[in-house]
Order: sequence, then C-alpha cells, then structure tokens
Amino acid sequence: MVHQKTMSAVVSLLLFIFLTSPILCWANTNAGDDLFPVILTDDLGIKITITKKPERIVSTAPNNTEIIFALGLEDKLVGRTDFCNYPPGVEKIESIGMLSPLNLEKIVSLEPDLILTFGGLQAKDIIRLRELGYKVLALDAETLSEMLNNIEIIATACGVPEKGKELITNLKERIDFIATSSADIPASQRLKVFTGSSYEAIWSPGKDTLFDDLITLAGGQNIVGNQKGWVTISSEQVALAEPDVIIITSGIMNPEEIDKMKDDVIRHPGWSQIPAIKKNHIFAANEDLFYRAGPRLVEGLELLYEIFSGIKE
Amino acid sequence: MRSLVELKNNNNLYGYTNWRYKALLILIIGFFAILIVGFIGLNFGTIIIQPEKIWSIIWQHQTDNSLGLIIWELRLPRLIMAMLAGMTLASVGGSFQGMLRNPLADPYILGVSAGAALGACLAIALQYTLKLYLIPYLPFFSLLGALISIALVYLLSQKQTRLSVSDLLLAGVAINFFFSAIITLLLATSKQGTHTMLFWLMGDLSTANWQKISWVILPVFLGTLLLISSSLELNAMALGEEEALHLGVQTEKFRMKIFLIGSLMIALIVSFTGLIGFVGLVIPHIARLLVGPDHRIMLPVSALAGSVFLIICDTIARSLIAPIEIPIGAITAILGAPFFIHLLKRRNNINE
Repeated sequence: MVHQKTMSAVVSLLLFIFLTSPILCWANTNAGDDLFPVILTDDLGIKITITKKPERIVSTAPNNTEIIFALGLEDKLVGRTDFCNYPPGVEKIESIGMLSPLNLEKIVSLEPDLILTFGGLQAKDIIRLRELGYKVLALDAETLSEMLNNIEIIATACGVPEKGKELITNLKERIDFIATSSADIPASQRLKVFTGSSYEAIWSPGKDTLFDDLITLAGGQNIVGNQKGWVTISSEQVALAEPDVIIITSGIMNPEEIDKMKDDVIRHPGWSQIPAIKKNHIFAANEDLFYRAGPRLVEGLELLYEIFSGIKE
Repeated sequence: MRSLVELKNNNNLYGYTNWRYKALLILIIGFFAILIVGFIGLNFGTIIIQPEKIWSIIWQHQTDNSLGLIIWELRLPRLIMAMLAGMTLASVGGSFQGMLRNPLADPYILGVSAGAALGACLAIALQYTLKLYLIPYLPFFSLLGALISIALVYLLSQKQTRLSVSDLLLAGVAINFFFSAIITLLLATSKQGTHTMLFWLMGDLSTANWQKISWVILPVFLGTLLLISSSLELNAMALGEEEALHLGVQTEKFRMKIFLIGSLMIALIVSFTGLIGFVGLVIPHIARLLVGPDHRIMLPVSALAGSVFLIICDTIARSLIAPIEIPIGAITAILGAPFFIHLLKRRNNINE
C-alpha cells in the first residue's frame, strides 16, 4: 500500500510538472523581458538605458569580442574589428576595419542595437554614434576586477545575467586559488618582474594597469609597480632594479622570432649582470593574455603563476 | 622682358571690362561642378548604395533606415564640411599669397594652425592626465588656441614702428615654430593620446554634423565674400608696396585686415576639421594658372576649386581602402605635392 502511495505521488508529481512545463517555459521566456529595461553606467560615466534584449551587437574592441564569445552570444555578434583574432570562429563575423578611427558608415550599415566600444581612442566616434541614436557602451577595464565588472555589465546589457554570473564565478575561483596561495609572500621574497620593450625609452606597465595587477596577484613584484600608469624607464633603471624575471610579450609567437627577441634582451648593453639574464629567466608570452581586458587575463595570471613557481623550485 | 610684360598685364587689370561676365560664368560653372562632384562623392564609401536609391533617399528625406542615416547624417555633413573647408583654405591661401606677395604663403603660415593644433593636443593630453572627458570640447580648445596665436602674432607685429611684410611673416613663423615645439613635446610625453593627436594634425572630417555646419557656414561665406571684395586692393599690392600706396591703399591697415579676416576664418574651420594641408597652398596657384592673377576672378575660382578639390580628396579618403579610412591630409598632400613640384619647376624654367 505504502509503495503504491509513493508511486501515485511520484506519478502525479511528474504529471504536474509535465502539465505545468509549458507555463513554466512561457514564464521563462517572459523572464527575458523582465530583465529590461536596464540602466547601465559605462566607463565614460555615461548612463545608457537598454529597453530590450539586443539582437545585433557590434564589438569595436577585441576584449569585448572575447567576452561576447565567452557568454555564448556569438550568434548575436554582427560586427567585429580587424584586431579581433580570438576565439576561433571570430573570423566568420564581418569586420568593421580598424580600432580607430571607427568606420561609422560600416557600423551604421550593420544596424546594431548595441555597440560595445573601449572609450579612449574611440571617444570622438562614440560621440558621433550616440548623436545618431545608437546604444553605445564604452568599457575600458584597467584592472582584473574591473574586467569582471565589465563582464557583468555586458551580460546584463545582453539579457544573460545568469550566464554572466556563471562565467564570473568560474573566473573568480581560478583567480582566488592563485591569489590565496601567493597573498602571504612577503615583499622581500617576491620575484622582481620586468616587462617592456628592450629599446631605449622603455614603456612598462606600472600601477593600475592590467599587467601590474596580474604580476602582483601571481606573487611577483613589478619593478615599476610604484609608479602609476604606463611609465617610461631607461635601461639604467632596469639594470638598477635587478629584476629576477623578464617577461617578453609579443603578438608574434613564432619560436624563431621569440628567440631573436630573447637574444635582444640578453645582449642589451648594461644588462648582463641582471639576475634574470644571468639565470636565463626570460620568458615570452602572447601579449593578448596580459593587455586584453577579457576572460583570457586569467590564463595570463595562471601562466605568470606557473613561471614564478617554476623559478622558486 | 618678363617683368615688362607682367607690368603691362597688371596695368590692364583695371581695364578689364568683361570681368563681371567672367565671374558670373565661373560662379555658374563652379556651382554645377560642386553639385556634380558632391553627388559622385555621395556614391562612394564603405557601403555601396545604388545611385537611384541615393536620389530617392535625398528627395524623400529618408532618415528612418540605416541607408538614410548613412546618406543624411554621415556622408552629406562630411561633404558639406569638406566643401566649406576647401573654400576657406583656398580663398584665405590666395589672399595671404597676394597680401604677403609670397607664392609660398598658405593659410597656416601666420601661426593660426599651430595655435589651433596646440589647443586640440593640449585638450587630448589633459583628458588622460586629468581623467576628464574633454573630447567633445576639442573644437572649443582649438578655437581658443587659434585665437591666442592670432592675438600673439597681431601684438608681435604691432610692436614694430612700421609694419612690413616680413614683420608679419616672421611673427607668424616664430609663433608656428614655438607652438609646434610644444606639440612635439606633448606627442613625445603623452602616452595614450598620441594617436588621437596625430589624426587631428592630419585633418579629420569624420566628426562633421549638421550642428557644426550651422555654426561654420555663415562665417565662411561672409569671410570669403569679404576677401573677394578686397580684390582690388590685393591687385594693387601685387604691383608692390610703393605702387599700392600711390594707388591709395593703406597697406599696413589693409594687411592687418586681411590677416584678421583670414585667420579668424581659418581658426573657425580648423577647429572642426583639424589641419588639412596643401589645399590652401596649391589651389590658389592652380586658379592663377587657369584664370590669371586678377584677384577678382582668381579668388572666386580658388574658393570653388578648393571646394571641389576637397570633396574629391575626402571621397578618396573614405573609399580607397575601405573599411579603413585614410587621413584626408595624406590625400591632399599626395595629390597636391607632385602638382606643386611640377608648378615650381615650370616657374623655374620660365625664369631661366
């Protein structure tokens, strides 16, 4: 008897679910509309109201393109730039050309209902696009947490906040794993890291840049981490800082070219006594993992962590 | 021998009886040339639109679809801005060449451009250091810079007891050098703004919109008319300082007048378009080749030819390697420089 009762309870429950599922589904599709309108503030401090789920998105920055793909929204992406080279599949989407100046005519012809830009160089084109009545978000992350925040903004703007949360949680877990294991390293034991070109008037990312953020989180110490923004330093300052690690970032990852770049650093006048060069702790990595404010920053962080742990052993 | 012939021609300048008809004819030709070139320009760009479609978009004033937006809000304002800029640069260039009696003079030689450029570059540099969103106010900054440089040149040349051509020229050149040096400094030290600055310095018509045109159009037409109405004095100046004085031209005051009108026009237009080079130098020479040195005819021809030339240059800039846009300054110089060299060689051959 008991058995029969449970059976009938299960059956009626299943029946209930079966019968109500269309309603639940309907409620679910409606939930998409409940997500709008949303009011968002972008990195230029401008408020944008999005009234319905965007169906035609144009991304004018490689990092935004990567975020769109990571959120599974690639079928809504109708335009990208010549510089959007990741992830695979991006080449099938029509290109709008250069990052700056933006080709307004091309963008208008794609009839976008949301344009994701990066501010900065594109500022004057953004003004023009807004004048023409387009929804434009300018997102310009300078730290890892700002990047996560931008994922949330994009996910909200595109009507997939849940998907955004999922992605952020995943990325955060990976970040926290590294951050907690390297947080306790005292300043004196941190590896000193230098990154930048080997030419005179070296540009190196200082405080409040993505790369600096990653170096610190991974347990290193940026030799220009005490200066704000991108800084120009001389070869002498690099020699004086005695970095333990030199990271060469490049868009070209061909091994022969990488060897040439390493050679260039090794033979740089005045650097022969730098610990990194004496111990051959010179590493080359894809620049997009460190400078492109998208989900792959976490890969860059993991790579740095691996390099640092390898040296310490 | 040549100088004698020239003098004879110049004496004949005031004897032209049919110059009014000539000017009217040129106006009509120029008007239609602008219309034709403008319509051809409307057909080019990243997106290919059928000419019939463009007609209907224009006549029905369609702005509710993306093609309508492209024609009405992107291509048309640009075309008109190019036209106005070409008109200003060429007519001011022609007047400055006449007023300074120097074939190498251009609208930028008296320092306005450097002031405008410094204003714009300073705004761009400040944007990144102060973290203020200054890009929308670029025209304001560059206008301010241009006005300051005009005032400086004016004051510097006023100090002299007697204002000669070289005083004005040297003051302009000095200001140009000084401001350009500061721009170079900004370019070297500003990390993020360099690209934006360079594009501004090469000329940029992409920010043109109807509002900006409404601010610019009246001063441009008024200024051009004022310059053309000074043609007789400019003709007299061509005979030489003494001759002009004998003919009743107060040369110093007149020079100041042309300097101020021209520089203010340039200041205004350059604030919205950046520094578009070569138009103001080469177009007046072309006009002189076509219709002779009489400013009454040469200046209107310059203004119209400048408009046509810049519309053509902008069309090429927008469509040659689309979707990438070429800075318009590069096109004007690429088209203008060989012609200018040819002109100079020709001139040398005649002189020999």
